[in-house]
Amino acid sequence: MKALFAFLQKECLEIARTGKLIILILLFVLFGIMNPAVAKLTPWMLEMLSEQLAESGFAVLDVTVDAMTSWTQFYKNIPLALIAYVLIFSDSFTGEYRSGTLLLALTKGLPGYKVVLAKTMMLLSLWTLGYGLCFAITWGYNAYFWDNGIAAHLLQSAVLWWLFGVWVICLLVLFSALMQNNTGVVLSTGGAVLLLYGLSAIPKVKAYLPVLLMNSGSLLSGTAEPDAYGKAVLAAVASVVGSVTAGILIMNKKQM
Amino acid sequence: MEVLKIHNLEKRFGGKEVLCGLDLSVPEHSIFGFIGRNGAGKTTTMKAVLGLLKPDGGQIYVMNEKVRFGQTPTNRYIGYLPDVPEFYSYMTPLEYLHFCGKISGMDRSDTALRSKELLELVGLGQESCRIKGFSRGMKQRLGIAQALLNRPKLLICDEPTSALDPAGRKEILDILLAAKEQITILFSTHILSDVERICTEAAFLKEGRVAVQGTIAELKNMRRSDEFVIETAKKEAADGLVKMFGDLRADECNPLTLHGSEEHFFAVMRYAAENRIPVQRIERIEPTLESLFLEVTK
Repeated sequence: MKALFAFLQKECLEIARTGKLIILILLFVLFGIMNPAVAKLTPWMLEMLSEQLAESGFAVLDVTVDAMTSWTQFYKNIPLALIAYVLIFSDSFTGEYRSGTLLLALTKGLPGYKVVLAKTMMLLSLWTLGYGLCFAITWGYNAYFWDNGIAAHLLQSAVLWWLFGVWVICLLVLFSALMQNNTGVVLSTGGAVLLLYGLSAIPKVKAYLPVLLMNSGSLLSGTAEPDAYGKAVLAAVASVVGSVTAGILIMNKKQM
Repeated sequence: MEVLKIHNLEKRFGGKEVLCGLDLSVPEHSIFGFIGRNGAGKTTTMKAVLGLLKPDGGQIYVMNEKVRFGQTPTNRYIGYLPDVPEFYSYMTPLEYLHFCGKISGMDRSDTALRSKELLELVGLGQESCRIKGFSRGMKQRLGIAQALLNRPKLLICDEPTSALDPAGRKEILDILLAAKEQITILFSTHILSDVERICTEAAFLKEGRVAVQGTIAELKNMRRSDEFVIETAKKEAADGLVKMFGDLRADECNPLTLHGSEEHFFAVMRYAAENRIPVQRIERIEPTLESLFLEVTK
């Protein structure tokens, strides 16, 4: 345990001193503010564009925005934040393989599985922190300007999207254990998500795919019920455990 | 007692056989030079000893304990210094050594004491800035400090002086010499003068096998007095000697210089004296590790 915590402590020091923590906080805060800001500015922007739109045959009538507009924006923006997150941390493992810093730690008796566990713990904690910050900021502004009560199943919906992020990050961990460079890690993670997204076009398998969690925003409008995501949640949890376990097994057998 | 024993070690990368039945034994309290050309398998052998590579055959024992790939408990006996050690650049040397102490399972007070002592030994005692700004020589010295932190029985150094300037090389060799009282050092290098300066034993690696192994004196004696060199003042005289003694061969760079084997040494001297051949220089070639290296790795 001492070695695991020492490595975890090293990970924390790394994100703090390399500036990654600040970048992530700024990123998630920015996205958190952007959601209500875009909603708030939508009527004003449409008014500004009304003349041009009228020339094209569009009539801008009375535009009403509410918390729902802001939450819709949240579910449009959070995938971008997740992509940025994956890109920033795609070299978490491979950077250490390339530089040889991990080699010295492993020769000191640090087992490979502790490297995977510590990095997974750090990545998931940071995702939870960033996502939570973004959600809390959006929620706070929405409560101030409008009424969050309009959105149904708000917390469940947010937790489902958080789980989607956890699933993607665990794929990142798996491919990081497997690959030698971060381009491979990004392409494999993105490729796996796209592959499952493509498979979700098949109605029979759609309910069992973790990518379904990306649509959790539809809970807010009441067009879907939380039960509809049960199988996807189970699949995501199984996939998360499977990815981390496979990552550990690969790391334990990895030749450096 | 032997700190490291390797028996019939084999390793292939794809279709390429890098180690093909390597046998090696490193006695306690020796500084063991591990010599070979680039690609001879030195780093592969060292990584196999550290459990970082899975051998395709053979056994490795460190302190009579078998080395296992992956989870490698024998690494508690080993300190490792790679050719270009890389550290977490955002840490200070002291923070890095504390991190190493924790992952090696050392207790806090021992780590603190040992870190201070080792940083003093390698001349980094006063360095409180981050590793980011360190020169290659400073990183190499910190590399030695981290390798010695958990009081290893065996220190494995992979070409520790190759990338350094003469002053940096001297510093590293002096530190290794100072450390030899307590530990055994396995030291891979191409720089044969470094081997002659600090090593007590050496092995020459060729095509994945140990071609020759012994003490430095034994290795030098393998080639003792089997060659001499004679340099004449004129080209005609050199040609005359070659004609007379068929096994004399001219130096590639200097046609006035001839190399000959020991058995004709006196005959050539007599012939030169009797025929009043002007000789600039005649000398027995002192055996060097370099000549042995070139012969063994030919």
